[in-house]
Amino acid sequence: MNRSEIKSFTRNPPVVIAGLVFLAVLGFIFVTRLVNRFAEQQKALARHLYAQGMTDQKSGNPDRAVEDFRTAVFYSRDNFDYQLALARALRDTGRTTEAEAYLITLWEHSPQDGAVNLALARLSARQNSLDKTIQYYHNAIYGVWPADADTSRLNTWFELVETLLRMKARPQAQAELITLSAELPRRVDLQLRASDLFMAAQDYEHALAGYRLILRSDRDNTKALQGAGEASFHLARFNDAEHYLQAAGNALDSDANHFLELSRIVLASDPFDRRLSTSERNRRVRTAFDQAGDRLQACSNGLQDQSASGNLQQLNLRWMDLKQRLTRRSAAGNEEVINSAIDLVFQIEQETEKVCGAPTGVDQALLLLAQNHVGVEP
Amino acid sequence: MSQVPSLEPLIDISPAENATPSRFSLAATFQEERFFLIVAVFIGLFSGLAVICFRLAIEWTRIGLLGSVPAPHSLRVLFTPALVGLLVAILVIHVFPQVRGSGVNQTKAALYIFNGYIPFRTAIGKFITAALAIGAGHSLGPEDPSLQIGASLASALGRRLELSREKLRLLAPVGAAAGLAAAFNAPISAVLFVIEEVIGRWSAGILGSVVLSAISSVVVVRWFLGAQPLFRIPTITAARPTELLAYAILGVVGGIAAVIFAKAIGYFRPRLRALPRWTFYFQPALAGLVIGLIGYLGAPQVMGAGYDYMDQAMHDQFTWKVLAILAGLKILATILSFVSGTPGGMFAPTLFIGAMLGGAVGGVERIFNPHLTGTTATYALVGMGVLFAGFLRAPMTSVFMVLEVSGNYSVIVPVILANAIAYVISRSLQPTPIFDLFTRQDGLDLPSLEEQREESVLRVEDAMTQPPDPILDSHATVGDANHQIETSSGAIFLVRLAPTGWTTVGRDLLKQLTSEGKSEMTLGSALPTTRLPYLHPDNPLEMALRYVHESPLVPVVSRADFRKLEGVISAGDVLNRYRVVSR
Repeated sequence: MNRSEIKSFTRNPPVVIAGLVFLAVLGFIFVTRLVNRFAEQQKALARHLYAQGMTDQKSGNPDRAVEDFRTAVFYSRDNFDYQLALARALRDTGRTTEAEAYLITLWEHSPQDGAVNLALARLSARQNSLDKTIQYYHNAIYGVWPADADTSRLNTWFELVETLLRMKARPQAQAELITLSAELPRRVDLQLRASDLFMAAQDYEHALAGYRLILRSDRDNTKALQGAGEASFHLARFNDAEHYLQAAGNALDSDANHFLELSRIVLASDPFDRRLSTSERNRRVRTAFDQAGDRLQACSNGLQDQSASGNLQQLNLRWMDLKQRLTRRSAAGNEEVINSAIDLVFQIEQETEKVCGAPTGVDQALLLLAQNHVGVEP
Repeated sequence: MSQVPSLEPLIDISPAENATPSRFSLAATFQEERFFLIVAVFIGLFSGLAVICFRLAIEWTRIGLLGSVPAPHSLRVLFTPALVGLLVAILVIHVFPQVRGSGVNQTKAALYIFNGYIPFRTAIGKFITAALAIGAGHSLGPEDPSLQIGASLASALGRRLELSREKLRLLAPVGAAAGLAAAFNAPISAVLFVIEEVIGRWSAGILGSVVLSAISSVVVVRWFLGAQPLFRIPTITAARPTELLAYAILGVVGGIAAVIFAKAIGYFRPRLRALPRWTFYFQPALAGLVIGLIGYLGAPQVMGAGYDYMDQAMHDQFTWKVLAILAGLKILATILSFVSGTPGGMFAPTLFIGAMLGGAVGGVERIFNPHLTGTTATYALVGMGVLFAGFLRAPMTSVFMVLEVSGNYSVIVPVILANAIAYVISRSLQPTPIFDLFTRQDGLDLPSLEEQREESVLRVEDAMTQPPDPILDSHATVGDANHQIETSSGAIFLVRLAPTGWTTVGRDLLKQLTSEGKSEMTLGSALPTTRLPYLHPDNPLEMALRYVHESPLVPVVSRADFRKLEGVISAGDVLNRYRVVSR
């Protein structure tokens, strides 16, 4: 091949195209290496900044953490963890709008992701948006979790209930708890947590059932005993309350101790106990009657607002009238007088609570008996 | 400008220019057309690769010079732009004199003045100097340099392949589209911008190659850097019709801001260039010092292209007051960077200003009307389009650019409305578009699409006259025709041929035919069979010039019925019409 032939050959379009393809391949190889190196550098920077952000967050410097996470996201735009960390940090620093924007972007990318839905749920709770909170928590509960999905789901579910209680959405919280407790594995700690939440939601029947379930397998569980006692107390089952709380022994906290003491007083003051002899019943009625009279007197004496004293004066007149009838010897067998006396006791305790505030000790016990008018269980 | 080398076509497949058409040359032309399309694809690939390298170079420079995050109150931030400005000035003055400014006009000049010739050195120079300047924090963007790098690569490749002069000329916009598409990751916007601003006219001939190169470059960029749009846009709600008023206000504010921006650049650019040559060394440095000072005092966001900060603005990171301040500071920083002759583009700063201004206007509007559903991201996006339409005066590109960089189509109505308002305001207050202004300041006169749009197009209907009476029919005999024209004073008459077509006959010819004893012959058989060319009323008047020399009268017929005569046109009519216009 002479020179002109070579020149002619190199001007041949297929040869030219082959040359261009070769050049393009070389270019691709070169740029691939360059881009890989660049990506590694960016990833390293992002990792460093993310770690720094986590440290800042732990050391109570959320604003710096936001900046670190933000730069980490800048260097690794597609990294899910960095974006989520940034969104969480923004939420924690009160920049909810921006946090929401990031979270919504993540959510649009992975609407099934449990962590993103959980973060959005927390954000919605912070914004007091009940419907959205429930919706995102449900998405999180039924969403995809990368590891230990069952635990994450249960924790999220518990968190939903706690959040609903904080948002004063008791009916919704109770509904969630009933569903949750049906799906709980037979684990004491989880059942205890659910029962405690039933207590917080003031669903004492379910709470008591939960505690009893725990006690069936672990009869000495002091927390369950204490919970069962408290639940029984709220259900006005003072015998059970005393039984559970007493069984818990020294492990009781101050509230539980108070409930135990009060249960004992209630049981000792209850004139409706069917096991009582007539004389004992009469004695209890008289004691309660005197106690109510003292309470009425003390309340009237300490009253600042005289406009509220009208009812108390009437009650005082009725009390004095009944006192005379009650001290007669014939009163012991007179059911009508005894019943009137106990009715008046209840009325006095309820009225004085309204006017003078919550009573303590025996008065509190009498008030509890009044509130559970039908009396306590045998 | 360096010496333009000989551009004689040398490659085998190129058609011999000025050669008479033959089977061989037609085949060669066809082959070259196909070859040109293939070359366009390769230009796209190479431009894409070059732009990726360019972007990486900017990033590495930025991290190396300013650190991973430019922090305020750092001496690095204060002095780096100035020192790099000095270095860039030395490089521009002594090594790469072609790389000043954005590069859009240089590419356009290459197309219209230098037969598509752009020295390869320009690509290298633009790459180095723009990467240094943008990476060091000068308020400029990488898009226009990418456009010039693409055009320069295309030109070099075309010369290497020894393409014909015609094709070589077309390669500059093909490369420009590839470069811009790669920089923006937005092929449609790049194609439209190149048509609106570089080619300056709609040309179907080049459209295919421009589209091919743009798409292939975007494919390369997406291959390496991913397919996600430039911005991560939070959820955007479609505007209610009543809310469009809020976007209209943004259009007005953006239009005025664009005019201020353009007028300031237009005012300072020639004045700084008129200063003594030694000042050219210090202009970029001084601009860099002011920008560094802005960054040092607490607004490092205005440094560099600022895409990450636009992203943050869309995610509600800034209050409306901060957004407004950033928009103002960016205008100042960009004016300084650009008029000082620092190499770099105007696209990114325009988008930055638009995003910040849009977010700020949206924030203020929400104070007065808290029920507005548009988010900061919506207003920022619309703001970008508004500034693009108002400042760069590329209305179509501005709409598609917003859609492509956001990957979101729900804002299209607000974008179109606000962009149209900004465009109209900008046109009213600043008659010359910014790139045309630069060309004129540089002593050049290049075509522009806006000028072309404003030109009134003359059509055949503007010059045609009533047909001469009577119209003769080819079935009529020569005797009858003579009889019909007796009462007419005209010398030339139109004859309607069967089944369609027209011809003319003169009074003298009819008399001659009679004297030759052909009175009983029909006109169809007595006259020559040559048919006249015809025109339609909506044809451009230039088209008539091609035919009026063939016949004293050219029929103008209806498009629906070629036998229906709308008028006639003669050379005199055409010239008279042009005479009236030129007066």
